[in-house]
Amino acid sequence: MHQQGHPNSGTPDLAQLQAVMNAIEIACSSIQMHANPAAAEATILSLCQSPRPYQACQFILENSQVANARFQAAAAVRDAAIREWTLLTADEKKSLISFCLCFVMQHASSPEGYVQAKVSSVAAQLMKRGWLDFTAAEKEAFLDQVRQAVIGSHNLDVRYRGINFLESLVSEFSPSTSTAMGLAREFHEQCRASLEQDYLKTFYCWAQDAALSVTNKIIESDSAVPEVNVCSTAMRLMLQILNWDFRYGINAVKGAKSDIDCFSAEARYEGAKLSDCLLVQPGPAWRDVLITNGHIGWLLSLYGALRQKFSCEGYWLDCPIAVSARKLIVQFFTLTGAIFPSDNGQMQEQHLLQLLSGIVQWINPPDAIAKAINCGKSESEMLDGCRALLAIATVTTPLVFDRLLKSISPFGTISLLSALMCEVIKVLMANCTEEETWSWVARDILLDTWTTLLMKQPTGNTGQSVMLPPEGINAAANVFALIVESELKAASASDFTVESESEYLQASITTMDERLSSYALIARAAIDVTIPLLSRLFSERFRRLHQGRGPNDPTETLEELYSLLLITGHILADEGEGEMPLKKLSFFMKSYYIQVPNAIQAHFVDSMEIDKHPVIVLSSSIISFAEQSLDPEMRASIFSPRLMEAIIWFLARWSGTYLMPSEGIAISQDNYSSDSNHVYHLQSQSSRKALLAYFGEGDRGKFVLDIIVRISKVAVVSYPGEKDLQELTCYQLLRGLVRRKNICIQLVALDSWHDLANAFANERTLFSLNAVHQRSLAQTLILSASGMSNSEASNQYVRDIMGHMSAYLVEMSGKNDLKNVAQQPDVMLLVSCLLERLRGAASASEPRTQKAIYEMGFSVMNAVLVFLEVYKDESAVVCLLLKFIVDWVEGQIIYLEAQETAVVVNFCLRLLQLYSSHNIGKISLSLSSSLLTEAKTEKYRDLRALLQLLSNLCSKDLVDFSTDSIETQGTNISQVVYLGLHIVTPLISLDLLKYPKLCHDYFSLLSHMLEVYPEMVAQLNSEAFAHVLGTLDFGLHHQDIEVVDMCLRALKALASYHYKETGSGKVGLGSQATGYQDPDGRLQEGILSRFLRLLLQFLLFVDYSTDIISAAADALLPLILCEQGLYQRLGNELIERQANPTFRSRLANALQSLTSSNNLSTTLDRTNYQKFRKNLHNFLVEVRGFLRTM
Amino acid sequence: MSDEEHHFESKADAGASKTYPQQAGTIRKNGYIVIKSRPCKVVEVSTSKTGKHGHAKCHFVAIDIFNGKKLEDIVPSSHNCDVPHVNRTDYQLIDISEDGFVSLLTENGNTKDDLRLPTDENLLSQIKDGFGEGKDLVVSVMSAMGEEQICALKDIGPKN
Repeated sequence: MHQQGHPNSGTPDLAQLQAVMNAIEIACSSIQMHANPAAAEATILSLCQSPRPYQACQFILENSQVANARFQAAAAVRDAAIREWTLLTADEKKSLISFCLCFVMQHASSPEGYVQAKVSSVAAQLMKRGWLDFTAAEKEAFLDQVRQAVIGSHNLDVRYRGINFLESLVSEFSPSTSTAMGLAREFHEQCRASLEQDYLKTFYCWAQDAALSVTNKIIESDSAVPEVNVCSTAMRLMLQILNWDFRYGINAVKGAKSDIDCFSAEARYEGAKLSDCLLVQPGPAWRDVLITNGHIGWLLSLYGALRQKFSCEGYWLDCPIAVSARKLIVQFFTLTGAIFPSDNGQMQEQHLLQLLSGIVQWINPPDAIAKAINCGKSESEMLDGCRALLAIATVTTPLVFDRLLKSISPFGTISLLSALMCEVIKVLMANCTEEETWSWVARDILLDTWTTLLMKQPTGNTGQSVMLPPEGINAAANVFALIVESELKAASASDFTVESESEYLQASITTMDERLSSYALIARAAIDVTIPLLSRLFSERFRRLHQGRGPNDPTETLEELYSLLLITGHILADEGEGEMPLKKLSFFMKSYYIQVPNAIQAHFVDSMEIDKHPVIVLSSSIISFAEQSLDPEMRASIFSPRLMEAIIWFLARWSGTYLMPSEGIAISQDNYSSDSNHVYHLQSQSSRKALLAYFGEGDRGKFVLDIIVRISKVAVVSYPGEKDLQELTCYQLLRGLVRRKNICIQLVALDSWHDLANAFANERTLFSLNAVHQRSLAQTLILSASGMSNSEASNQYVRDIMGHMSAYLVEMSGKNDLKNVAQQPDVMLLVSCLLERLRGAASASEPRTQKAIYEMGFSVMNAVLVFLEVYKDESAVVCLLLKFIVDWVEGQIIYLEAQETAVVVNFCLRLLQLYSSHNIGKISLSLSSSLLTEAKTEKYRDLRALLQLLSNLCSKDLVDFSTDSIETQGTNISQVVYLGLHIVTPLISLDLLKYPKLCHDYFSLLSHMLEVYPEMVAQLNSEAFAHVLGTLDFGLHHQDIEVVDMCLRALKALASYHYKETGSGKVGLGSQATGYQDPDGRLQEGILSRFLRLLLQFLLFVDYSTDIISAAADALLPLILCEQGLYQRLGNELIERQANPTFRSRLANALQSLTSSNNLSTTLDRTNYQKFRKNLHNFLVEVRGFLRTM
Repeated sequence: MSDEEHHFESKADAGASKTYPQQAGTIRKNGYIVIKSRPCKVVEVSTSKTGKHGHAKCHFVAIDIFNGKKLEDIVPSSHNCDVPHVNRTDYQLIDISEDGFVSLLTENGNTKDDLRLPTDENLLSQIKDGFGEGKDLVVSVMSAMGEEQICALKDIGPKN
């Protein structure tokens, strides 16, 4: 309809414009009334997509009475102009922008603000689109119009709209909020740089002027005046500009680094979320505007005046202008970097002091403020005050932080922080409701403040430790005591909430963990008070438990102990999970020693009473308490599963730091603090050594290790069915122990460890452990073999543990009546458990134990095939079998000698064949849809395991430690893997590829195979080949960019292989590429032609992320080179399809330069690929806009 | 090991038993369980505690393997549950008779004619269609606690 209304030449007459307007108006109102919305949307869409709808849109904007229609017209201008940008003349572009700007200003007072805002943002987008093309004078002309509006106009609405436009413009230029507009990152980056360097500061000044000019009016009047709106918008714009991610002029080094990739900004934002405090770092150029011209004084006095008015009509604590002003004030706290001269931070301190004295009444006196909030006052001012403290903590050192307030009041900032925190905790304790209140928010912000302050200590780059001032330490101690009190209270109160779903708790555990880490930092700041406090609290509760044994219900105390254990664990040691616990350890040890006041430390060192060291006292008392759990009677009366969980968790964490720390750690610590004060250093070093040696590899360490092993055994044996406890024991405690070699050496010498191993290998009890935990335990036991003195002993140790189990499986597989008994639940459970254990052992494979583990797997190979047959309908067992083999092959393959490789490879192929013969063409029947989905999921899991198996086999070609080449045995890995793929792919239906992980695995294996061994493809039979290509086709249209990328890589590999081969006179992909006759006698197109067609279609007409264009270019180039004739034909077809002569010639030119510009040659080398990438990029920018709308 | 071996043998002799006790904590997702005297497949297991310092309990959501109904149960995780002995046997499908029974060929060459076709239209048509197309079909028959049912079909090529 609209196309008809807009002939490309000639001016449409008024009647036509009127008709379009009517149609759009009707569509808009019918959408609002929900009458036939689909048709209405189609009408609106056709306006957006019609060529050159500008006149109609302008007509609607100016004449329509329906606000929605005007809104849609603005949107249509935007869509069409962005799409057709390259087709518009320079004058047309400019007139569109100035139309939008004039429209906004002329209708500034219109009641439908959203239309104005939309038109504003359209103007901003178009301006950005043309930013790099316009001359400086042209930009100046537009901006002058805006400047006039913002500071020259007497009409407040015009001012407001002007500022509003600047907001749109700034957000359009900021990478994180910009519209993509189908353009490359470089474009956005250039715009960003240009705005920041040439305009941003000017905009800020305009906003300042606009706000200043209305300030008096606002201050003088007693009720809300219309000027308020301008002022608060101006402040919003200032805030937005301060939030800009400044890159230029920060300082030379940093600036140069960061403008390489404008998207590194994202990391900054993520990091910022943690502490909720973005730093503002404009360069020195901003000093005059922000700091030295009294701007801050103005802002503070404005807010001060507003504060007086909160009782007046039209103003209140949360009114927009007050909120904007507070946000801006808080943002000024975060100002840092080169904007301040290098004067030892004096100017910054001055700046912070000015701000702080302006806001201190928001948070001081804490008790009065907390009371007022509880009586109904809004908390937002107090929370903003807390945020300001967080900001100060972020930009200064603890010493400066504390000093700031001292210059204007009798106490330091840390004391205020502590008092504030105490008030908040008191409020929290008073109302223990579950729902989130302001005190939660305040607590989190204040905790972040503490964390920020205290984390600074060890990271001082000079190594010089920054101590808290003495009052600061007292303040920390006070806060910690109150924290513990509140946690204990919460613990004893929460006990009576009866049921707790474990999954539901998971989320709150993580936040609790974060909170506990902050508590730990506070406690460490005042370690000499807090550790003895904890010792005292523990011993009180131990005593209470012993006294209360009997009729009294101990749960309250148990829950308190649970809390205390968690808190103490966090304080004494940092989380040691992952690969490098050592780094974290030294961090803590350092921070601990640095914070022990010299006097106390001297006491410990001089009197040589290391036994009385508070950390030792506390640790010892907890361990001896834990030891009591070995006594069955005590266990039954006191050690509930939950308490045991806390104990195991604590032991795991504690032992990672204090138990037998290896020599290396001590040395690394010495290096760590080597710059610090020398005398002090010597003192602390001897004390540190004493502390570290206390539970070292001497008798005491061994003794504790023995206790820990015995407690672990109790936890897995005597608490049947307690999965959480078992999990902690297996995964955290035991796994953490065997991770360290020096502990393994001690472990394998302990009788208790052998007891555990023996029980595992030979007794029934441990079969009642959850199967997954049995796997983990097997892995742990095998890993401890690294503590054996030599390889022979290690292998023997493994054989001793696993030998019985594998022999038993073999024996069972040989039974005559296996088929009858195999399906009995008890037999099935046993087989499953044994397989899990074998899998655990297989995944613990290390060079030292490789031999024994190979033998273990080798001995059960036949049994595995037998079980696969017998249990073919028991998917759970099948899955275990496959996963065991996957892990076993993964651990072994790179070490295997040629002959062993041949054996393993043959076995894997038999396994694949057997699995395939059981499953191909099988249909599950069930009444229950959820059982059918389960069956599908199980299939997915199996197939994924099989693909992993193939990938593992593949790795033999990449890494191989065997002494001779595997080829000597006639094994060709690529052949094997292709054969495997051949067996597996028919099982993978397109339906199953909807499982993301399977899809990912499949395509990464496929693209790897095609990239590395393209020559093997030619040897596939046509059925297998067709299947592979069918999946590639599927993958190209996948949602996941990574999958598309892998498919493109595969295509590139195929096409470039064919091109290179045929170039040197060989057949390449042969008939697959040239086309062939299908069984029905029809001639089928060759695959390269098919994909060329597909890829062009994809690039031109489908929505995709710009990230894959490069990969697509790499695939397209060799395809074009292989199939030049077809490419010409497709190009001509495209051109002929264009009715519009302008588009036609543009398309022809674009196609021409795609293959000819930049001196593109017909070789496939790196530089040529790069040139083609560039060409394709330009080509798409040039033609996609109009091709897609046709 | 001898201990286990003994166990294994004795159960083999006992053969006919329909269910076996197994500790609730060791039953995993995808395993079998008896709930309300029905053989079920577990689709979900979660654990919870009785009070903060009590013992763990397992919460099972399971589906009746024959009629597809959903059942739930809560058992202390150290207690035993009954686990059904679920057997599967493959037969070649010889004929589908008018009165709703199938005729199956057993491994030793006899026929088994006492198995009813499923009443559900959908399942029925899947079996009948395959058979009608002249494919050679193998059916898996699942049996547990005295009930049996066809649970899977497998096409082993065209009938000759």
